[in-house]
Amino acid sequence: MNPTDQLASAPLMPFYVAAAIAAAGLLLVLRPGRAAMRRAGAVIGLAGFGMLMAQGLKLAGPSDGSVSTPFYMAFAAIGIIGAVRVITHPRPVFAAIYFVLTVLAAGGIFLMLQAEFLAFALIIVYAGAILITYMFVLMLAHQSPEDEIGRIGAEDYDRIPREPLVATLLGFFLMASLGSVIERAPELAMENAAIAQTRATADRAAALQKLPNTMLQQAKAKEPTATGLARDAGGLASATDGAMVQVRVNAEGDAVRTVQVNPADAVDNVQMVGLDLVAKYPASLELAGVILLMAMFGAVVLARRQIELGDDERRKAAGMGSMVLDVPETERGGA
Amino acid sequence: MMHLLADAAPAMAPTQGVTIALVLSAALFTVGLIGFLVRRNMILMFLCTELMLQAAGIAFIAFGRMRMDTSGQVFVIFILTVAAAEAALALGLVVLLYRRRETLSAEAWQELHEQ
Repeated sequence: MNPTDQLASAPLMPFYVAAAIAAAGLLLVLRPGRAAMRRAGAVIGLAGFGMLMAQGLKLAGPSDGSVSTPFYMAFAAIGIIGAVRVITHPRPVFAAIYFVLTVLAAGGIFLMLQAEFLAFALIIVYAGAILITYMFVLMLAHQSPEDEIGRIGAEDYDRIPREPLVATLLGFFLMASLGSVIERAPELAMENAAIAQTRATADRAAALQKLPNTMLQQAKAKEPTATGLARDAGGLASATDGAMVQVRVNAEGDAVRTVQVNPADAVDNVQMVGLDLVAKYPASLELAGVILLMAMFGAVVLARRQIELGDDERRKAAGMGSMVLDVPETERGGA
Repeated sequence: MMHLLADAAPAMAPTQGVTIALVLSAALFTVGLIGFLVRRNMILMFLCTELMLQAAGIAFIAFGRMRMDTSGQVFVIFILTVAAAEAALALGLVVLLYRRRETLSAEAWQELHEQ
């Protein structure tokens, strides 16, 4: 088998071809040229991305019967269109608005992947806060030039890209090498599915035992007369039994009843993320706070204008008296 | 009710969905990288790094979903934190540079590179 045959029979070959088509389309869109050329580039690029997704689906194996795949594809298409507009739009404010579109699409993907809290946190923090900061700075620092007849145009440095061919080539190589990761993902998923399921159940059961209010609420749904958790001598009110959690509650007439609670129903995603954040990664949480604080200090220091002080003001700031003797002797500090 | 949009059988990892999310993540990262190289406006160069951070977040969530582990989501919270800090600092720097040269073009600072 000669090397060419080997390459052609590689399972990732169609993936590379799709990446090359997408890269060619992107290159056409990036180059400032005729509108028809760029439109053709957009079509070619989208076709290439569609082929990439189709290859991904082929690698993922037969459909698992879920109806959500078209939603994933729609969100992915919206996200990638927004991203390409971010890097090609000649007017920066519009590029920022297209970034919001990409954030919304990513939020949709998060929602589908059962990361509900993160989906909305992403939209609020990114689209609501970070992008608004970008827009402020863009509008503060940037006035679009007008041409002779008063139309708003774009600056040269926004219209003409820097080295589009080299950048696209680099991008193609990056995408092609990422293909090997995507290729392995489905088999990893299959391999881990059973282990992951067991561990997820155990995680939720452990989490439930740290959430007394949720535990009582769930127990009340099954045992309406429950008044509170019945803790034993060790302070525990529950025990894990396989996939279920046994919760002991005080029922009517001082009787202690045991109620079975399914942790998968009881603990939702937000509770799991919150528990992970404070119980599993507390040091990282503190560090994140320090990062934000330092960023705030840094932003304040950067945004402050330098003011030239006169000799007199500098002496005053240093706690020394004024050179001009207009202050009475008694009021002068220190000496 | 919770998983209105998500899969009918939430117990199974949606292999196809996870794979599409990974393809999107790779493509977004690539587009962000190309954008960082191609764009000459300093603010938009930073916007392209945000694009790359976004791609990393999608990959974290997708792998977390695959392994049924919420750690992936926790990491995305930290990514959000770093992105916010980065936006504040980078934009502060860009405003400072803009005040000196009255332009957002990165080429205005070309003399900084080594000869």
